[in-house]
Amino acid sequence: MTKAENGTDSTVMVTLRGIHKSFADNHVLKGVSLSVNQGEVLVIMGASGSGKTTLLRCINYLERPNEGEITVGGFTVRGGRAPKRDILVLRRKTAMVFQHYNLFANKTALENVLLGQTVARKTPKEQARELSLRLLERVGLADKINAYPSELSGGQQQRVGIARALALNPDVVLFDEPTSALDPELVGEVLDTIKSIAAEGITMIVVTHEMSFAREVASRVLFMDEGAVIEEGEPQEIFTRPREERTKKFLRRISADWDYNI
Amino acid sequence: MFFDLDFALKSFPEVLGGVPMTLLVTATSILLGFALGFLIYSLQARKRRWLTALCRLYVSVVRGTPLLVQLYIVYFAVPPLLHTLSQRYGLPLKVADIPPLAYALTAFTINTSAYMSELIRSALSSVEAGQMEAAQSVGMSAWQSYRLIILPQAFVEAIPNIGNMFLGLIKGTSLVYTVKLVEVMARAKVLAAYGLRYIEVYLVASLIYWGLSICFEILFKKLEQVLRVGSRKLKAI
Repeated sequence: MTKAENGTDSTVMVTLRGIHKSFADNHVLKGVSLSVNQGEVLVIMGASGSGKTTLLRCINYLERPNEGEITVGGFTVRGGRAPKRDILVLRRKTAMVFQHYNLFANKTALENVLLGQTVARKTPKEQARELSLRLLERVGLADKINAYPSELSGGQQQRVGIARALALNPDVVLFDEPTSALDPELVGEVLDTIKSIAAEGITMIVVTHEMSFAREVASRVLFMDEGAVIEEGEPQEIFTRPREERTKKFLRRISADWDYNI
Repeated sequence: MFFDLDFALKSFPEVLGGVPMTLLVTATSILLGFALGFLIYSLQARKRRWLTALCRLYVSVVRGTPLLVQLYIVYFAVPPLLHTLSQRYGLPLKVADIPPLAYALTAFTINTSAYMSELIRSALSSVEAGQMEAAQSVGMSAWQSYRLIILPQAFVEAIPNIGNMFLGLIKGTSLVYTVKLVEVMARAKVLAAYGLRYIEVYLVASLIYWGLSICFEILFKKLEQVLRVGSRKLKAI
């Protein structure tokens, strides 16, 4: 049951309708709606506290939305009180890459990539192992498969995190500020990895502050402020001719940060 | 002669014979205490107000009263209670046949469970919230997440504290002679009274407790090393 306005029903991968989320008295999301087509890379930007991370975490129900509707790959879950079984199905259609990597600390790199497949999706061991090895090679960590997270650098951990997400063959991969906890010199290797998988046509929603990344990779950029979407469009358009004053202000600020970093 | 070495040496094997009973009480109370402690923790985690309050009260009372008193209460209060109950309801229960070991284990299990429930809570909260989120994000059920990710990490964190508790209990079992259970301390007391040689025998008992403690200290260290896989250092880079 997706919108029929552009006649591309079959390719809509993610739809959010009227998502509301409050933490106690704090109304963080005020009715956010969006849709992402198959193969699209949606980048969500906005000041901290604008609700972008909360929105992302609502998509796989790590935060329970108070109201609204989430559809991923044709499967719909409502906010409020969704049954546990539905939440599990939703989570098995999505994968997430975390800001602080969150690799399983008691498992090796290979096991981290393997576990979701064998435990949650019941993929046969051999098949899962093969895919895991292929993905770890793909993110440039073929020589680290038996390393524990504590033995890896931040950039390496995040690349394992990306392999772990891809191994699930999800309908959409959610990236929650995947480079903001990294040392500056490690940001590049992770962004390059994300860019290369974006080129493969994997549907992604990315919360990030990396403007140059958004400019290069995003099919669409969406700006949030105070729990609502204030502007969205193609990256060229939105970065060069933002319409909203709040967008302009935000862009000026992060461009200034950019200058300071150099 | 102030110190009779010969008597000490001769009493050593006799006192040592109490070690199996000491270890039986310690190990059983740790295991049963862990199970009961886990139950208390999970009841508390349910967030029903009266249930939480009840568990808190239990933990507070048990931790706030001496182990010896608990042992006496179980030993002296439970038999008449059981006797009355079995008479009223006609249960085929011979209260006099209940061995002292049962009372000792009951008291020690109750005592251990209160500390255990707190230990379990702190061990679980030491695992970062992100670990649970990651497990959920790859589609694991709650049970799968706990079994594969959370509990193994929490257990490693808990080992040093379980070790401390174990050492404490080994020495704590020296109280069970008061309920007619014959372990290291009881044997020492009997021998000392028999030979009127107190210092010698208590010194022997102390050495045995110390020796046991050292053994288990090493054992728990090793266990932690083996299980703490995630922080293993690279051998070669």
